[in-house]
Amino acid sequence: MNVDMRDTHRSFGKNRAVAGVDLQLGTGVFGLLGPNGAGKTSLLRMLATVLPPTSGEIRLLGRDPRGATARREIRRRLGYLPQSLGYYPSFTVVEFIEYFALLKEMPSPAVPGAVAAAVERVDLGAKARAKLRTLSGGMLRRVGIAQAIVNNPDLLLLDEPTAGLDPEQRVQFRGLLRSLGENATVIVSTHLVEDVGTACSEVALMSSGKIVFRGTPDELTARGAGHGVGDAPLERGYSAVLAEARS
Amino acid sequence: MTVLSVPTGGSWLLRSRLLRALWLEFKRSPVPYVLPPLALFFYYDAIRTANGYPPVWTLRATVVSHLVFSFSVAGGGLAAWAGAREGRRKTVDLLATTPRAAWSRLSVALAGTLGWLLLAFLAFTAVLYVQTAVQATSGGPPLWPVFVGVASVTMATVLGFTCGAVFPGRFTAPLVTLGLAVLFEIGFRESELVRASSAGRRPSVNHALPAPGGAPLQVTVFHDLSYGTYALLSPLRDPMGVDVGVYHRVAPDLSIVQVIFMGGVAVALFGVLGLAAGLREPGSAGRWLACLVAVVLVACGVAASGTGFALTGTAQPVRDVAGGWEIPALHSAASDQPVAVTPDCTSTPGFQVCVAPALSFDLRTVAAELDPVAAEIAGLPGAPVRAEEVATLLRGKTVMAGISGSPPVFKFSTDHVHTVDTLLDGATSLAGWRTGFPQGLLDAFLAGPSPAAGLNPAQQAVEDALLAAVGAQPVALLRPVPASAQEVAASAAAQRFEALPAGARHAWLTTHLAALRAGKITVAQLP
Repeated sequence: MNVDMRDTHRSFGKNRAVAGVDLQLGTGVFGLLGPNGAGKTSLLRMLATVLPPTSGEIRLLGRDPRGATARREIRRRLGYLPQSLGYYPSFTVVEFIEYFALLKEMPSPAVPGAVAAAVERVDLGAKARAKLRTLSGGMLRRVGIAQAIVNNPDLLLLDEPTAGLDPEQRVQFRGLLRSLGENATVIVSTHLVEDVGTACSEVALMSSGKIVFRGTPDELTARGAGHGVGDAPLERGYSAVLAEARS
Repeated sequence: MTVLSVPTGGSWLLRSRLLRALWLEFKRSPVPYVLPPLALFFYYDAIRTANGYPPVWTLRATVVSHLVFSFSVAGGGLAAWAGAREGRRKTVDLLATTPRAAWSRLSVALAGTLGWLLLAFLAFTAVLYVQTAVQATSGGPPLWPVFVGVASVTMATVLGFTCGAVFPGRFTAPLVTLGLAVLFEIGFRESELVRASSAGRRPSVNHALPAPGGAPLQVTVFHDLSYGTYALLSPLRDPMGVDVGVYHRVAPDLSIVQVIFMGGVAVALFGVLGLAAGLREPGSAGRWLACLVAVVLVACGVAASGTGFALTGTAQPVRDVAGGWEIPALHSAASDQPVAVTPDCTSTPGFQVCVAPALSFDLRTVAAELDPVAAEIAGLPGAPVRAEEVATLLRGKTVMAGISGSPPVFKFSTDHVHTVDTLLDGATSLAGWRTGFPQGLLDAFLAGPSPAAGLNPAQQAVEDALLAAVGAQPVALLRPVPASAQEVAASAAAQRFEALPAGARHAWLTTHLAALRAGKITVAQLP
C-alpha cells in the first residue's frame, strides 16, 4: 500500500478543502476527477508532503510523513508535477531536470543516465540544450513531467499533466502513464475525463472536499447511463455522479 | 543535442551531488550579466583613481574600497534577485517536495552568487595590485583591505539574498540595492568626518622642535576629535596620506574588527535565512533542529558583530600614522615599530636629494626641482647641502619642514610640499606641486626665528625672485592682480630683485641674509 489516508481533513480558515477523505492505493494509475474547488489540488499537496493535514492520518510508501527522516525518504521516492509549474528560464532542459535529480538526492553516478532517460521519455531530446525561456507551454509541461519522473518515483502525483499538450503528445503521455503505473502509484488529477478513461485503472471523483465516487472508469461510465449531460459516456457518468452528490 | 550527449559526470568534483548543484547555480547565476557594467565602473572609477595616485602600496590599496562599494551594492541587489527566485518563479511547492532541506538548497544558490561576486572582486583587485606592483618602487600589497572587502561583499550578498528569500518580489532587488547604497554612502560620509578629525587632525598648537645648528623643525600638535563607531566600521576609506605605511606600519586593528563585525553580521543573516526556511517546513523534529542551528548561528553572529562593534568603540588614533587607528585589545607592539628605511639618494655631485625607497619614483622630479634653487643659495650661511625626505609624523607630531644639522640638511615631508592635496584632491596643478619643493626649501632657508609666523613681505619678495630666477613659479607673482598696496610693493621688489644678475643677488644675500631672516629688511630696502 503506497498511499493510506484515513479520515483526512484540511481546512484553510473556515474553508474546508478536504473533508474526511479515506484513500488506500497500491500500484497503478489512479485518476482524480472533480470540478474546480473540489479539493483535488489540496489532496495532492498533502500527498506531496507540502501541506500537512489539519487532522487525520496519512501514510505514504509505508511511512508517516510527519517524521523528518521518514518524510525525507518519502520525498526521495516521490515525483510531483504541480498545476502551475514554476521554472527557471535561464536553465536548459537538461540542467533543470538534473537540478531536480540532485535535489531528490539520487546517487550521483545515476543522475546523468536518469536525466537522459527522462528527457527521452517526454520526447524532448531535440530540445535538451534549449533554455526553458525558449520553450512553448506544451514543451514546458513535458519538462515538468520529466522532472517528476527523473527519479523513477514510487509515488507520482500529477496535477493537470496534459494541460497544454497537443493531441499527439497526450496520446503518448497516456502510454507513459500506463507504463509508469506498472511499478508505481500514479495519481493524476485532471479535468479531462478522456485521459482518465484511457490511462487509469481506477478513478475517484471529488466534490466539496469529499470523494463521492470511487471505481473503475467503466463503473463511472455506467453511472451515466440515461443521464443527459456530457458528450462522451464517461463525461455523462461524471456529471451524473456530481449531480447526485450535490442533490 | 540529443539525450546521448547529456553530460555524464566529468571529473570527480562534478560527480559530487553538492558540487554539481553548485556548478549549476554558478553557471546560471545572474552575476555574469552585471560584470560588464561593473568592469566599466572599475575602469572609470577605481583604475583612473589609482592612476591619479602615486604608486605607493598603502595609498593605492585604499582604492580597493571603490571596489568594495560597487561590489557590495551591486552584489546585494543581485543576491536579492537570486534569493527571491523561488518565490518569484513560483517553484516553492515543487522544490518543497524534494528531500533536500530548503536551507541547504538556498545555501547552494547563495554560494553560487557569492562565489561569482568574490571571484570578480578578487580578480579586479588583482588587476589593481598588479598595476601597482609594476609601478611601485618598494613594499608589497597590503592584504587587510582585501580581507575587509571580502567581508563586506559577503555581508552585502548574504543580506541581499536573505531579504530576497524572505520577501520575494521583483521590487526586493532594487530596494536592497538602494538601501545598501544609502548605507554605504552614510558610512563613507561618516568616515570622511572621522578622517577630518583623525587623519587631518585639526592643528591647535604650533611650535618648534629644537634643532641644533640650524633652523628648528616646525611641528604642529594635533588634538584628537570625537569620532563615530559606525564610521570606523565602514569599509569605505579615503586615502590617508602619501607616506602612510612608508615610515610606519599601518596597524591592522581596525581591519580586524571590521572583518569580525561584517563576518558576524553575515553569519547572523545566514542564520536568519535558515530560520525563515526552517519555519516554512511542515512541523517535525527536524524542523526544530534546523531552527535551533539557525538560532545558534544568529546568536554567534550577533555576538561576533557585537564584539566587533564594542572593540571599535575603544579605537584610538595611532600616533605616527595619519588616519590610522589602534584597538588596545588587539594592538600588537610590533605595529608601532618604525619601518627601517634606507633612503634612495641622487648620485650627482653637489646638492644631494634623498627620499624613502617607496617614494623613489619621485626622486628625479624632486631633485630636478630642488637642484636649481639649492645652487642659487649655495655657499650662503645656513644653505643646505642635502635634502632628505622624512616621515610626515614624528613622535606623534606633524613635521612640516626645516633646515637642521651641521652641515645643514633640508628635511621635508610629503605633507609639507602639499603632495597629498595636490595629488589626491586635485586642489592644485602638477606645476604647483613641483613648485612646492623649491618653495619649501626657501621658506625654511629664509624664515626667521619664528617660522610658524610665515615669511614677511621682504622675505616673500626674495623668495619669489629666487623662484622666478630658477624658472619656478613664484607665489606672489602668480597673483594676477595684487590685492593690496603692500602686495604691489612686494611684487615690484621681487621683480627688481629677480632682474639683478645672479652674482649680484648672491652677493646681496651674503651681506644681508642675517638681517633679512631677522625681519630687519623691508621691501623698500631690497635692491
